[in-house]
Amino acid sequence: MTDLVWASMGELARLVATKAVSPTEVVQAHLDRIAALDGTIKSFITVMGDSARAAAQAAEAAVMARESLGPLHGVPVGLKDLYCTKGVKTTGGSRLLGSWVPTDDATVVTRLAAAGGIMLGKLNMHEFAYGPEGLNVHYGTPWNPWDRTTHRICGGSSSGSGAAVAAGLCPGALGSDTGGSIRIPASLCGLTGLKPTYGRVSRAGALPLAWSLDHVGPMCRSAADCALMLGAMAGYDPRDPSTSVLPVPDYAAALTGQVKGLRMGLLGRFFLESAGAPQRQAIEQAVKTLEGLGVSVGEITLEQMAYAAAASAAVISAESYAYHEPWLRTRAAEYGPDVRERLLVGAFVSGTEYLKGQRVRRLIRDEVDRALGELDVLIAPTLPIAAVPVGAREVDIDGKPHPVRPSLVRYTRPFNVSGHPVASVPCGFTADGLPIGMQVIGRSFDEATVLRVADAYQRVTDWHTRRPPLGA
Amino acid sequence: MSEPGAAPPLTKETLRVLAQAQGFTLSDADLDGLLPLVQAVRAMMSELAAVPLEDVEPTSRYHML
Repeated sequence: MTDLVWASMGELARLVATKAVSPTEVVQAHLDRIAALDGTIKSFITVMGDSARAAAQAAEAAVMARESLGPLHGVPVGLKDLYCTKGVKTTGGSRLLGSWVPTDDATVVTRLAAAGGIMLGKLNMHEFAYGPEGLNVHYGTPWNPWDRTTHRICGGSSSGSGAAVAAGLCPGALGSDTGGSIRIPASLCGLTGLKPTYGRVSRAGALPLAWSLDHVGPMCRSAADCALMLGAMAGYDPRDPSTSVLPVPDYAAALTGQVKGLRMGLLGRFFLESAGAPQRQAIEQAVKTLEGLGVSVGEITLEQMAYAAAASAAVISAESYAYHEPWLRTRAAEYGPDVRERLLVGAFVSGTEYLKGQRVRRLIRDEVDRALGELDVLIAPTLPIAAVPVGAREVDIDGKPHPVRPSLVRYTRPFNVSGHPVASVPCGFTADGLPIGMQVIGRSFDEATVLRVADAYQRVTDWHTRRPPLGA
Repeated sequence: MSEPGAAPPLTKETLRVLAQAQGFTLSDADLDGLLPLVQAVRAMMSELAAVPLEDVEPTSRYHML
């Protein structure tokens, strides 16, 4: 019998469709594991047990009636708690919205349900998605499943999504990514996460952090499962005017395993050269693996990346403040102290500075576009570090202390600024058994190639199949 | 009108006044936490002064493709 909580989303869908297992068995197995482990892991803010069981029974009836089944039929999905769910509270990880119940679903929730997905619950996160550590003073900070003895960060802001998928509490989850919030927890929790191109997936019904930097995407245990989720979610949405009208390709069909002849650029300056030794070694080994698959790899430098942090800071500060300003004036005490302080920074960023950031973004985006005019994908480490203990403010990188927060977003935020699609893929472990991630960056709206490379790498490596030391 | 020069260092008292001008009355503890964050962002903004942007328009949020 397949261990249902460790089966892939694709395998679960196949098992359900062939009547090898019932959706009710699948859902109950995950609910049982949540009940057993999540008191410690703290990945869920709300478990939707009753509605998930009811949806599973309906899914089972559809199978028995031989109805047409979606690609995620009977497969549980977790939702970061910033996606609106009709009739289910949506907190944004904040006490401020602790009892808010939306009247509509986010578009991505509707689409995942239409594909047959069963919503298992709402996942913990850094308050209002404003923090790369994934801390939460209101609902408890999720525990990274890869260390049973030390409470380490999962990375954020989608920390509950990372913890839940890594711990086998759900096979896939929605994250969101404004400066790395899908890729950081994917890297620190040993998962595959995809930040799609800006405009590929609707943001309608997702609580915003910064409208022009926010991206919606999947966090799973493989690139194949990310392809499955992306295919169910992507495409134009009249509720989100930033979504593209470009057709959605069949991402699962793009996973051919063939990458021979592809040209890759390894980002050295601003990326690999400043990573810790374990991360550098893991990326260098991954490059050799990709070369073994027939890929040509050369090192390149993107000079405009020198300004990515400043451009990101100008935009995220101003946009997040603009959204939160009314609450900062009337309900400031309900925010956690760290998020309230960060949000207030935007009050001191001028309109000119905001627009300068948006102008620099164009330079950065154009430079990435030029590089990808000659190359198929770019490669970089996701992070220069592994998961640090909760509360750590500094981290050692090759013998020198560095502040944790900027270290977490250094390699990820440039591609929120540029809007290009990026996957983070497990590519190794530190000597302490903590996961390491690699970014695969692609051309705008070419998620298919990004996922094809990630999947081809996962066909010849086993980093993504390893499980954290949780027992069963 | 005099020529603009480099911005003076941001102090806790300056930040208090700037916040008050925007309608926020912040405690000393609030200002102590906020000051290094605002200083860090101002330092980052100053990096952008060196970027040649004469013919560069802002990135558009909505680009239908």
